[in-house]
Amino acid sequence: MGIKIVPRHGNTLKEKLYLPAIFGGMKTTLSHLITNLSDTPEIKTINYPEEQPHDISERYRGVHRLTKRDDGSVRCVACFMCATACPAECIFIEAEERNDGVDEKMPKRFDIDLLECVFCGACVEACPCDAIRMDSGIFSFIGKKREDFVLSKEQLLANEEKKA
Amino acid sequence: MSTISIAVVIINVILALLFSLGAAPILVWIERRVAGLIQDRLGPNRCHINGIRLGGLIQSFADMLKLVFKEDFKAKAIQESFFFSLAPVIVFASAFLSFMVMPFADDLIINGERFIMQGLPMDLGVLWFLALAGLSVYGIMLGGWSSRNKYSLLGAMRAGAQVISYEAAMGLSVVSVLITYGSIHLGDIVAYQGQLLFGFIPAWGIIIQPIAALIFIITAFAEANRTPFDLAEGESEIVGGFHTEYSAMRFGLFFVGEYVAMSASSALIVTLFLGGYHLPYLNTQTLQAYMPFILMVLIVALPLGSWSAMRWIQKHNRWHKANDIRNHESAFLQKGLIGLNVLVIAGVGALLVLGLSETSTNVATAVIQIATFALKLLFMNFVFVWVRWTLPRFRYDQLQTLGWKVLMPLAIANIFISAIIVVARGL
Ligand code: SF4
Ligand code: SF4
Repeated sequence: MGIKIVPRHGNTLKEKLYLPAIFGGMKTTLSHLITNLSDTPEIKTINYPEEQPHDISERYRGVHRLTKRDDGSVRCVACFMCATACPAECIFIEAEERNDGVDEKMPKRFDIDLLECVFCGACVEACPCDAIRMDSGIFSFIGKKREDFVLSKEQLLANEEKKA
Repeated sequence: MSTISIAVVIINVILALLFSLGAAPILVWIERRVAGLIQDRLGPNRCHINGIRLGGLIQSFADMLKLVFKEDFKAKAIQESFFFSLAPVIVFASAFLSFMVMPFADDLIINGERFIMQGLPMDLGVLWFLALAGLSVYGIMLGGWSSRNKYSLLGAMRAGAQVISYEAAMGLSVVSVLITYGSIHLGDIVAYQGQLLFGFIPAWGIIIQPIAALIFIITAFAEANRTPFDLAEGESEIVGGFHTEYSAMRFGLFFVGEYVAMSASSALIVTLFLGGYHLPYLNTQTLQAYMPFILMVLIVALPLGSWSAMRWIQKHNRWHKANDIRNHESAFLQKGLIGLNVLVIAGVGALLVLGLSETSTNVATAVIQIATFALKLLFMNFVFVWVRWTLPRFRYDQLQTLGWKVLMPLAIANIFISAIIVVARGL
């Protein structure tokens, strides 16, 4: 039978006295304190923002960016797939006709409200043209007003891919 | 009263203030930084005045300033606003007053006049401490009750029950200590600990009364409401316990009161069990007899100590961005250390060259003893912090079981044993 008998702890005299265990614990904490004061500290935190995290993976979903075609124009065709897929409904697109012969449609406005975005990546998945990506690597976005967090098409186009 | 006696009294009061009230920001700082380092974090280290951070000490002052200027909010449901405001005052005042009987040096004799080196020159000793430490729980209960909040009331009830069960054991453990020392005056108790046991072990309380020391230290944790006995606060169970409804400076008084109480408990532990102001093997008479040698040792030891401190500062006290004003701090600290060294060595050297008169020997003894006491106090406070960040909180029934079923009988048995030994030795 699959019964596992777990031995109960805490019945020997040494365990009932508590003090040996308490002193053991105090030894552990003291050793941490001394290590961290020594020449080779093992501090696990960093002095953010002077020091930036260095262990962010390449696949980390940062702030969005709109990709460009080879000729440098916007790749997005304003198909509204991303806005439809977005669970937070924070993508606002206004389409316009494209007259330069490259394509038929392009966004006139393309706003993403980062305060509503949940960084789920559904927009990236939904896009048929690979026009939106979240590989900018920007993980901390700072603003003083709510309006600062609504990224416009120009700002999204300006974001670059973060190279590893 | 001569000028000297007035000066000594004023110095005593200032010292007592420094050790209790002045210790609060330092203890808050130690608490935060030690907690951080124990948990492999950095802890608060950014706050600075013109680049001077003192390892984060400035943060405590910034915090106090914040508490002073915060909105003094009081919920509408609180009707007994007098008691509500009185509660933190009681906690703070009793913690503060209980520190006043701690002797931080042997009686100082200047020109044949004898001065007791403690905040209030009284002989009440342990009794004064026990009375006032017990009083502080009234503040907690009053605060919890007048808050009109279930959590506060729960915290207050816990505090009341806890103090009843631990005060008994604490009092009994003190009784056995008093039997051994034969006096309630803390000065006599410390003088007793200046002797040597069997000629080579310092007769500190922790050696001649280990069980009483253990019980007293445990109950002192409970008395000061520190982890593992901080059930009255219990932030993971009952929000903030008795101080849930408090904010701004009313909370600040509770907060400072906790640290002053902790410092007072440490002072009593040091006085009763860790030899008080005595350096090991050097009681007041030996210290005075060998004063020139000790001063010479000081002249050698101080630069060595400062040198290693400076090395440490150079290595570790850096800011992570170049051109930050905080990078100037290391140089400032090192200059400060060098200045301190020059001052002390010049002073002590002048004393040695000019020859020691009786008064200067006495004063030097007092200064050395005060420094010893301060160091021991700091160590004991560190132990309080250290234990807090090691042990989890007790469950309520475990707390009561420990208090009534373990500590009480142990304390009573200890009284019998010490009484038998004292009587047997007296025969
Ligand atoms: S990451 Fe998710 S929430 Fe954010 S814009 Fe894309 S789909 Fe919307
Ligand atoms: S980003 Fe992609 S999914 Fe969104 S509108 Fe443009 S092309 Fe369509």
